[in-house]
Amino acid sequence: MNTPFLQVSGLSKAYNGIPALSGVSIDIEPGELHALMGENGAGKSTLIKCLSGVVRPDGGEVRVNGVAVSLGDIRASETAGIVALHQESTAFAHLNAIDNIFVGREPRIGPGLLDRPRMRREAQALLDRLGEKIDLDRPLEELSLAQRQMVGIARALSHKSGLLIMDEPTASLSARETETLFRIIRQLQSEGVAILYVSHRMEEVFALSSRVTILRDGKLVDTRPIADVSRDELVKLMVGRELLAEESRESTVTLGEVMLDVRGLTRPGVFQDISLSVRAGEIVGLAGLVGAGRSEVAASIFGVDRPASGSVSIAGKPLPAGSIPKSIGCGLALVPEDRQHQGLVLPLTVGTNLLLTVLGSPSMGALRSSDKENKVVADLMRDLSVKAAGPGIAANTLSGGNQQKLALGKWLAAAPRVLILDEPTRGVDVGAKADVYRIIRQLAQDGMATLLISSDLPELLTLSDRILVMSQGRIRGELTRAEATEEKILALALHTENSSVKVVA
Amino acid sequence: MTTQAINKPAPGFGATLSRLSRQREYGVLALLLLTIFAVSLVNHSFLAGGNIRDILVSSVPAVIVACGLTLVIVMGEIDISMGALMGLLATVMGQLTTPAHANLPVAVGIIVTLLLGAGIGLINGLLVAYGRMPSIIVTLGMLTVLHGVNLTLINGHYITDLPAGLRFFGIGTFLGIPISLWVTAAVVILAILLVRQTPLGRRIYAAGSNPEAARLAGLPVRNLKVFVFMLTGLLVAVATVVSVPRLGVIESGIGQNFELVVVTCVVVGGTSISGGRGTIIGSVLAALLLGVISPMLIFLRLGESATYWDRAIQGAFILVAVLIDHVARSRRGAH
Repeated sequence: MNTPFLQVSGLSKAYNGIPALSGVSIDIEPGELHALMGENGAGKSTLIKCLSGVVRPDGGEVRVNGVAVSLGDIRASETAGIVALHQESTAFAHLNAIDNIFVGREPRIGPGLLDRPRMRREAQALLDRLGEKIDLDRPLEELSLAQRQMVGIARALSHKSGLLIMDEPTASLSARETETLFRIIRQLQSEGVAILYVSHRMEEVFALSSRVTILRDGKLVDTRPIADVSRDELVKLMVGRELLAEESRESTVTLGEVMLDVRGLTRPGVFQDISLSVRAGEIVGLAGLVGAGRSEVAASIFGVDRPASGSVSIAGKPLPAGSIPKSIGCGLALVPEDRQHQGLVLPLTVGTNLLLTVLGSPSMGALRSSDKENKVVADLMRDLSVKAAGPGIAANTLSGGNQQKLALGKWLAAAPRVLILDEPTRGVDVGAKADVYRIIRQLAQDGMATLLISSDLPELLTLSDRILVMSQGRIRGELTRAEATEEKILALALHTENSSVKVVA
Repeated sequence: MTTQAINKPAPGFGATLSRLSRQREYGVLALLLLTIFAVSLVNHSFLAGGNIRDILVSSVPAVIVACGLTLVIVMGEIDISMGALMGLLATVMGQLTTPAHANLPVAVGIIVTLLLGAGIGLINGLLVAYGRMPSIIVTLGMLTVLHGVNLTLINGHYITDLPAGLRFFGIGTFLGIPISLWVTAAVVILAILLVRQTPLGRRIYAAGSNPEAARLAGLPVRNLKVFVFMLTGLLVAVATVVSVPRLGVIESGIGQNFELVVVTCVVVGGTSISGGRGTIIGSVLAALLLGVISPMLIFLRLGESATYWDRAIQGAFILVAVLIDHVARSRRGAH
């Protein structure tokens, strides 16, 4: 057996003490298409960033053709022939294809002038090699997504790269464009270029790759020849972990009327035909991979964005689209995923944050009354068990968990009837997580209809009465509490338009 | 995989706006020629050689500094300290070279002025790029500091008796054309060369277009920022050297509102305030267009009060330019 093109051994990286990658080793042969799979947060992006030099790993070694590569240095990785093709957002939209291909390593005449004729010639040659006709003089923003991607591949090839890292390259391509990409991938392989291919799409992984490496919780699970592994096995390897032995919620709650009713909600290109309903006292989980469109659905229900078609009603009354104040007035609340930017006003005090949604509501009167406000704040802080020195301190001094409790509590002050939670425990420590779970359950018991978006499967399984699974902007299935397992959720979440993955629900 | 990639701009009004914002140079050029043509119909003496030269010479500072500010705005930043910097540099240059003050050789005065301009620009750039402060705040602070220092230095007096060597840069000619126009032409040509034909120029546009991608491509984004601020400071100094000596007197009001004029030129010339897009030639044409407005109002003989419309027209240009940019971008964003 030849020496592998790339040898990675014991690569580790922690962010703020939390390990994102621990001791991962992987070999890639020249001309091999090596698939990299894992759940959200399994460490795929961290591995890519370490290999391409965007972040410096804490430990481990990367060798190309047996020679160690200096880590944490984008230029060093590129020189060694490792080039990451990031998603299309990393192109320079205002620049043309030639500039996009060469910026950073421009061929020159003398010390400081661009060798324009050579740039044009080489750009044309690279794109010809990819078999793509692209207008070299148009800014990239005027090209199709697929064409932009070709330019990105041409840029990678201009490094004479031996390993091309592709992160979800087909995510925004049409079926025909995907075919073109696959043709190019096969051609590159025949020229000896190895490809590390990150994808959630099973059919692509099985169609293209020769081996697959699975990561879970930052650790290497296994590397296997694709011929030796079935789809079901792959899903099992990705999920793998022991289910958290958390006590499930007893379903003693009697469900009330339908409080949130969504019918045929559609935003073209983002999500299609979303219909769901949540009853009073019910917690409905919304599962899916990153990019499935869950947060976008939540934003449209709440009125942040206006959907192209479809309707939302709260307790039987239709909700006007695209108006946040009206949504709040009807009793709808959204605790967004990004609490730092969307959920809280961090420099303001704990008390002010809790009052944000009720300032100006009729219950508080026309003029502000500090007695009334103090009472509301004190009650909420007690109910939420917010650990803060007092209501007067700034919200940004609290821990992530306590900030999340504030983001939740802010809405409780407004006494909503329907609550949409987007990743309520992301980045929250275990103790605060338990508090957040307790609050969510308490609210449901008091009759709140809750739509829970989470990528944390154990969390969904623990809290939800029912789980809806989205992929590529559509709801792919519904699982009851009794039948839901991590494997079933993941199988539905991995479902794609032209996938042949069969799901036993 | 239902999303079809759409790359054709929407037809009709949106596409027109989109094209207009992308190739604003042509629009500005057309407006400039139209204005000159219209005014010369009313008053033939508008096109007289002396008048054209006066308009060009009065546009010199804006044209020179716009070359630098275009790149600052392409990088998604702003500089509003240029007027105060010009005021301070004028005072320093005057006090270094006049007999009543330091009486140093003109060459020394000019070199110090250029170095000081570049140095202040360097400080702006370092504070923005490495201090990670918003450029509007940094340069607002710098504006105030520079203005304060200038008032202290000049101490309520005028600087007169500028040495002949210095006045030459303001009123001298070479081959019958004012020195300031030669310098301006050189600055514009070098700036265009920088932008189009050097790696540095392309990197500035790349970093302005997508800073994160630029970082992933290994570009020194922060140093590029420092460079564009320093270049702008240097060009303010160049503009000072070739414009201030024309007046013969230096007082504390020099440079007043100059930053607004230059920002107007760059924005009207098609540079996007969100970065990544803009051309030197667009900014230069816009500077000439703004330079024509004031003489136009005089030549149209609309009466004395009409000439005060100068500023209002400039302001309206900014608003229209930004509106075109905004509408065009949201059209583009829609597909």
